[in-house]
Amino acid sequence: MALVENLHRRIVSIGLVPKFISKLSQLSLLCCVIGLGCLVALLPSDGQFRRTYISENALLPSQAYSYFRESEWNILRGYRTQLDIFQHVSTIHDTNAEVSKWLQQFGVKTAVYEDEQYGETLYGIFHAPRGDGTEAMAIAAPWYNENGEHNTGGAALAITLMRYFSRWPVWSKNIIIVLSEDPKASLRSWVTAYHTSLDLTGGSIESAIVLDYPGVSDRFDYVELHYDGLNGETPNLDLVNVAVHVTEHEGMKVSLHGLPFSELDKNDYNSRLKTMLLGIKDSVLSGIKKCYGNEAFSGWRIQSITLKAKGTQGPHDVTTFGRIPEAMSRSVNNLLEKFHQSFFFYLLLAPRFFISIGTYLGTAVAVSVGFVLAALNQILNNKYAGLPLLSIYNIWSVLAFCIALTFAFITSQLFFYFPQPVALLSFNVLFSALPLVLSTRIKIQKPFSYRFKAIAYLYMAIVLTSLLVLNFSLALVMGVLAFPMTRTTTITNSNVFLSLRNFALILASNPFIATWAVVNFVEPTLSGTRVFGALIEAWQQLGCWTWFILCLGWYPSWLLVTYASIDAIDLETAKKEN
Amino acid sequence: MVSSETQVVCACFASRLAVSYLFPSLQQQLDRTVEFSTPVTSYRSLQEGAYLLLHNLPVYDGGVVHQVPLLVALMALFKPVEFLMPVLFAAMDSLVAFQLMRIAKLYQRQLKIPSYIPGIVYAANPLVLLSCVSQSTCLFVNLSISTSLLYALQGHFSLAAQCIAVAGYLSPYAYLLLIPLVGICGTTSAGVILLLKSTVVSFVLQLVSFSMNNYNWNYMTSTYWILITFSKMRPNLGLWWYFFIEMFEFFIPFFKSVFNIFVISFILPFSIRFNQQPFYAFVLCLGWITLTKSYPTLGDGGFFLSFVPFFKPVFGYLRYPVISSLLLIHAIVLSPIFYYLWIGLGSGNSNFFYAISLVYGLAISSVIVDLTWAMLRIEYDSGKPNLSLKLTQI
Repeated sequence: MALVENLHRRIVSIGLVPKFISKLSQLSLLCCVIGLGCLVALLPSDGQFRRTYISENALLPSQAYSYFRESEWNILRGYRTQLDIFQHVSTIHDTNAEVSKWLQQFGVKTAVYEDEQYGETLYGIFHAPRGDGTEAMAIAAPWYNENGEHNTGGAALAITLMRYFSRWPVWSKNIIIVLSEDPKASLRSWVTAYHTSLDLTGGSIESAIVLDYPGVSDRFDYVELHYDGLNGETPNLDLVNVAVHVTEHEGMKVSLHGLPFSELDKNDYNSRLKTMLLGIKDSVLSGIKKCYGNEAFSGWRIQSITLKAKGTQGPHDVTTFGRIPEAMSRSVNNLLEKFHQSFFFYLLLAPRFFISIGTYLGTAVAVSVGFVLAALNQILNNKYAGLPLLSIYNIWSVLAFCIALTFAFITSQLFFYFPQPVALLSFNVLFSALPLVLSTRIKIQKPFSYRFKAIAYLYMAIVLTSLLVLNFSLALVMGVLAFPMTRTTTITNSNVFLSLRNFALILASNPFIATWAVVNFVEPTLSGTRVFGALIEAWQQLGCWTWFILCLGWYPSWLLVTYASIDAIDLETAKKEN
Repeated sequence: MVSSETQVVCACFASRLAVSYLFPSLQQQLDRTVEFSTPVTSYRSLQEGAYLLLHNLPVYDGGVVHQVPLLVALMALFKPVEFLMPVLFAAMDSLVAFQLMRIAKLYQRQLKIPSYIPGIVYAANPLVLLSCVSQSTCLFVNLSISTSLLYALQGHFSLAAQCIAVAGYLSPYAYLLLIPLVGICGTTSAGVILLLKSTVVSFVLQLVSFSMNNYNWNYMTSTYWILITFSKMRPNLGLWWYFFIEMFEFFIPFFKSVFNIFVISFILPFSIRFNQQPFYAFVLCLGWITLTKSYPTLGDGGFFLSFVPFFKPVFGYLRYPVISSLLLIHAIVLSPIFYYLWIGLGSGNSNFFYAISLVYGLAISSVIVDLTWAMLRIEYDSGKPNLSLKLTQI
């Protein structure tokens, strides 16, 4: 304790605390800058990241020889030719009936799950010869992929793999094949049904591999890996590692987040930064943008990834692609218990490089601390710091926060019934302009302005902190985008420059305007106001919370700050006027 | 014009009732959270006990019921009108709010705040509200403790003794509060009467329970012994559970005794050091028990924090109230999230939740430490606050 006391005395004697308090505003900005700076400058540079490794030794990827080779070639082609014909001449219902017969021929129990809204899903379970039937691995191949192309190769591969697996006695986990209509809503509804209402089930699904091989080409260039789950979930890094390990072992290249083939060999600061930022983008927009299929398995303790074959002219053969799910299934089959704990939080910089949570979490924490300091600044750095805890100003600001929260909740619900993004955006632009318009007519008292902002920033800090481990990317992006609101100043005497500055800051930190602007910038598939419809759809079809986090976590604070930016007058002046 | 105290009591009653009946499923949801429900305070376990009792089955054989026999009997009595249970709990909670305001009235001169303020703080405290809605039986204990405290402060020592005996019967930790209560009595004779009375009432309660439990003492094991041995290993916000989940068997008895001694250790020092301000000693002891007991809930924490407004005269001396409140807010917001990461998603593990329960413990202990410091400071200034004087502890 003596050391701490010494430190304490020293701090008091050089007057650090008052200095600290007077500089809170700058410190808050500094925190945000440091957070963002570390993310961009530090994390992708050498020494900050590590090579990936297999944490669970039992997985042993690529230790067994893969036999999915020429012997299966003709079988695969046969199925593929049939499916290609079905695609043109029959409905999915009839195709499912036919495929179901094929699967039953080699002992797979099949059933069709019918969802009135999202179409029917065929699934089959091959019971493990060596297992007790409590665990399963899933191989899914939606009939149509995220671009609406017919997934002929993927479905044919899945069926061939099932036939191939059924001849082996090594399986200790059931194997489930899922053929859904699309990789988004219909696959998701099947996953939900599997855990709630289906009769034919095969135990808890440990891993899910979604195969996406559109068209009938025999050849492909490289493999694209998708792993971002809903609501910031990621599969266990071991599964991703196994996929990368196996793919590269078979001589194929792995692309993360849709990087083009020409950039796959690069390993420098720029390429790592690009992969990391793309990863953050994909994680934030997971479920909102195109779904690849692995998202559908989120939330049920299922580790899932999507393997997508890219190109049609490359050196690799379709059976080579099939060896990836084969070897992955062999690996997962080896698992005696579960995937290793706490291997769920990572950012990938390249297929073989990752940053673990301890290194990257600090960046978002810094942004969140920035908000706390901004709140303290509003409480301590003005002459109303000494107001008693239960003064009318504090009580009113808490009440005003409750009103803002209610308003935000109503907005979030109303948008489901009147999905008018243009109206939403223009309302928010008008609302941002409110302080400008009202500047001469209505004044608020200064303590209100300070306290409202303090509560708004504090709430934002708490929301960001709670999101940190649930959805790191969203917490970081939201914190950075909302940060301009902490730079607004309480103004008096309708200073035009400051009012305009406030207006710009408020406009920039509005949840809907910022989302709209940023998404238009980074994601061409969600251009225009499509992102709002996609957010609603992501909630309704997949259960993705992002819309509510925007509305309930960010919007109330913004409303309060906007109101607090109305021209303020001193308490004394107000009393005199009365 | 009704007094503001009546308004507060009505608001307290109405808010609890409104939440209970507007969100009928909230009770069960809260009862399943680890923050508001423990094996020894859970309403589900009480219902189970009442069911067993009504069907003439042995209540304590199954190892499910950890509530005392009289509480189970009370629940069985209310079984036909179970839909009225929220009314009973809301009424008890309002009674606690009322008693807090009465205590504030006794200290009006020193406190210099309107006496309804502690009532408002209690009624508006979300922890207390949710604990009441979850129908956690820690409310029975809290009510007995506040009743006993009020009677003792008013000088009705005999009634205070009976109430603390009831509190101790429901949760033996309350017996520790006898020590600061004796301090409140002031005179030796009153203290002796308090101790004797509470002993007699406790014996009577145990005998009644013994006879109600078919002349069997086995309820003792599942209601009291479990608190000491922590034999029902369930995660909660306390300091105990994580310690014992992976420990070599032969260390367990030693550390269990250490934890138990830890609970007791600070009661006497607090009571002796602050014997001039026995009410504050009582509150600090309450906080200490909240921090170190084996099955704490947020309801206990909320009850302790409701006494903080009584420290109004020393608020100026608090050194880090902002840090304490930020810790508390973050612990309370993050604990369900980390529990969900561990149990729900499976991406976190038990360390996540334990880290948060440590933050909660840190928040409660920083409140206790800060209040203790403030008490010592005002004593140093002989009761007349001199905030410009800077002191540091050595």
